[in-house]
Amino acid sequence: MNSTTDLVIGMAGSGGDGIVSAGESLVAAAAHEGYHAMMTKSFGSQIRGGESSCRVRLSTRQVLNPGGNLDVAVALNWDDFLKFGAELPVGGETVVLFESDTGVAPDALPLEGVAPREIFAVPIGEMARKSAGTDKAKNAVVLGLLSGWFGIARDALLGGIHKKFAKKPPEVAAANERAFALGEIYAQEHPLREPRRIERPASAPPTGMLLTDGNDMCAAAAIFSGCQFFSGYPITPSTEVMQFLTREIWKYGGAVIQAEDEIAGIGAAVGASYAGKKAMTATSGPGMSLKTEMLGLASIAELPLVLLNVQRGGPSTGSPTKPEQADLFQAVFSAHGDVLRPVLAPTSVADTFAITVEAFNIAERYQTPVVILSDQEIAQRKETVDPIDTGRFAVEERRRPTEAEREHYTRFAITASGISPISHPGMPGGNYLASGIEHNEHGDPTASGAMHARMNEKRFRKLEPLKRRRDLIVIEGDPEAPLALISWGSTAGVCREALALARGEGLRAKLLVPYLIHPIPEEAYREFFASVRAGLVVEQSHQGQLYRLLRSFIDVPASVRSLARSGANPFQPREVVARLAELSLQLQGKPGENLAAGE
Amino acid sequence: MTSVPPAVRLQIKDYKSGLKPIWCPGCGDFGVLQALYRALAAVGRPPHEIAFVSGIGCSSRIPGYTTAYGFNSVHGRALPIAQGIKVARPELLVLAAGGDGDGFSIGGGHLPHAIRRNPDITYVVMDNQIYGLTKGQLSPTSPRGLQTVTSEYGSLEEAVNPLLYVLAYGCNFVAQGTPADLPGLAALIEEAIRFPGFSFVNVQSPCVTYGEDDQQIKAQKAKMKSLQSLGHDPSDRIRAMDLAQHYGRELYTGVFYRKPDPPPTFEALVRERQQELAGKALPRERILDLFLQR
Repeated sequence: MNSTTDLVIGMAGSGGDGIVSAGESLVAAAAHEGYHAMMTKSFGSQIRGGESSCRVRLSTRQVLNPGGNLDVAVALNWDDFLKFGAELPVGGETVVLFESDTGVAPDALPLEGVAPREIFAVPIGEMARKSAGTDKAKNAVVLGLLSGWFGIARDALLGGIHKKFAKKPPEVAAANERAFALGEIYAQEHPLREPRRIERPASAPPTGMLLTDGNDMCAAAAIFSGCQFFSGYPITPSTEVMQFLTREIWKYGGAVIQAEDEIAGIGAAVGASYAGKKAMTATSGPGMSLKTEMLGLASIAELPLVLLNVQRGGPSTGSPTKPEQADLFQAVFSAHGDVLRPVLAPTSVADTFAITVEAFNIAERYQTPVVILSDQEIAQRKETVDPIDTGRFAVEERRRPTEAEREHYTRFAITASGISPISHPGMPGGNYLASGIEHNEHGDPTASGAMHARMNEKRFRKLEPLKRRRDLIVIEGDPEAPLALISWGSTAGVCREALALARGEGLRAKLLVPYLIHPIPEEAYREFFASVRAGLVVEQSHQGQLYRLLRSFIDVPASVRSLARSGANPFQPREVVARLAELSLQLQGKPGENLAAGE
Repeated sequence: MTSVPPAVRLQIKDYKSGLKPIWCPGCGDFGVLQALYRALAAVGRPPHEIAFVSGIGCSSRIPGYTTAYGFNSVHGRALPIAQGIKVARPELLVLAAGGDGDGFSIGGGHLPHAIRRNPDITYVVMDNQIYGLTKGQLSPTSPRGLQTVTSEYGSLEEAVNPLLYVLAYGCNFVAQGTPADLPGLAALIEEAIRFPGFSFVNVQSPCVTYGEDDQQIKAQKAKMKSLQSLGHDPSDRIRAMDLAQHYGRELYTGVFYRKPDPPPTFEALVRERQQELAGKALPRERILDLFLQR
């Protein structure tokens, strides 16, 4: 193969090696050239130093996930590289380049049972010192090597180097440019046995591409939705949402409070919402645990609120810098009392925008807390996103009482829809008591069992329309297919690619991606299952939480099984295809089945 | 309720809701409520411009007995909610109230932060040294040695000193009152509301059911001493701390500390920052331009 349309590069080194910075230069340059790109970062949990890594996937087409085995592996030292295990998988197709200083012989790489396609021991540090006089230029050497061997956006990379060092004395950029050039020359002098250059992309959209991560996208969507209050407590991997809003929200008349703890974080947001402003908080699993009492309050007081939970490996501190999808039960079930709390999950940086806007709209329309379940991968990966036409998104406001309705205001009026107009302090005639205690339609505390039952019924009934939202369940592939995938969050991106590959190989398959995790749109699932003879629910949790959630609410065919494993062990599209192929073979063994593609 | 034309001076009755308090006959909280009505009428803000937040406990029922916008929230969390309200709508008069358990036990971690942010919120603690709603357990201000249903052989712990606690964290207005002196308490609450910044009023509000005899209104009347009568200068913070040390032994009423030159409030600083940056906003619908790679 002389050219390729897709390239996955994995790099690892110790904290000071500038690996992540090299990755950032790569995606920025790629976006500039019009490639689609995605960068995931992974670290040890040390504050400085320790191991760090990144994966960059470049493609001429849309990138749905970080990809499978690496096409290119860059190891600045092997100890650090190996700590990332399944996050940086090396296979028979991988070109490995590594720091020759490590003293490891190219025929004795510490990669058990794997024979990479080509191996280069490169004196990266020595080249950096020779060209730039410092080890700090190692990442520039690596970029030069990658550009030279794989034809990646040379001009954009050099432009990026100049931009990056724009505030430094000009000799810094010049030194890095020399380091880059030396890497390029090395690549030219040591050509690949099998050249593998990435094709030119279609040109970038005239407005340019967006390049950002899930946390920043979520925060920007909050601003777009009219969010005017955020309070939260720093917790990995969601803190960047607060950091973004701390820079931006004031410009829109809003405010951020860095709260003294997770409880105060959601508490102040509940207060701001009660005062009539759109409000948000963000956290990760352990913080979510602390916030759940306040979520119960927001549910019974019927206050709009958006809570972002960026999932990480758990329980407890768990693996705070790694992705996992194991907070689904928590999002759905961590309530005292009978509570239905809408839970939404984005699957990419791009759709984090739409899902966040939707979360605000649902919160405002139904006067309820809404949980956005993101995960570390989506939240912290950088992704190119095609420009989004924000004009397509409606922004909803809570239903406020009219002047006439405030003549004899009834805050919790039991209406046909279950939604009661909501006032806020400052609004004449709207005075009422919001409370965590059960209340009658006026908001007065009550211990009446009959009233409690009516209020529960009202609070559930108002959310019923969500179950009919077909737009929050996406079905892709052959609608009549016997083979099915169901997947959510970042893993859905893996399954989207797996579906395309499987169908390319003649398997009749389809995929269901729920953006609305809860309440469960039962009818949509029932229709989806009608043609299904075998399937997999693919997710990154030990228990297979979505699979179990679905089974507890709907009749999932016994032939649909769970494909789940703990976080930081990402699925690869190929592996999912292989499992589908197995299922297909098993079905073909059964009489009366015809699973070949119909056409 | 119907709104009152601003020209008409508001009366105590305008702040009374129709709800009947759940408190035991003789509870100190009735007096606190009366004092609060008087203070609110004296300040004269219409009820719809008042947000009154509480936590959980006997005393936390108090917002429901007023015509203000009330929020009877969860245990210990009145202050975070009140701060969210104040930042969202700084023009409101924001009150927070609760018991000693709410303020110094389960919610004790919030008070220092409310104080250091300094929003213009008045926080009234009805301190009865006991958990009344749950029927007579130890509270954070229960004196050492107190026998209760959770301290059969007497408490082994020292009491929290609410006055020293807030003074040490830099609270700019600190007062103590009692329903045994209703006019005095009403005046203190009014002064606290008028103080620009976070203000704290500790009220020795006896529990008639589970409290000790020497805490009841009658005993308090014999024991209380006004700080004014002692010649205390409320601008003297060190002297205030000295007097506050007698919490639990002496019953001093009045203003312990009132900062003579109050610093700007949190919401004023928020407003200032909003105004500084207002011109720098991209239109909301173009917020994603921040991510453009050109």
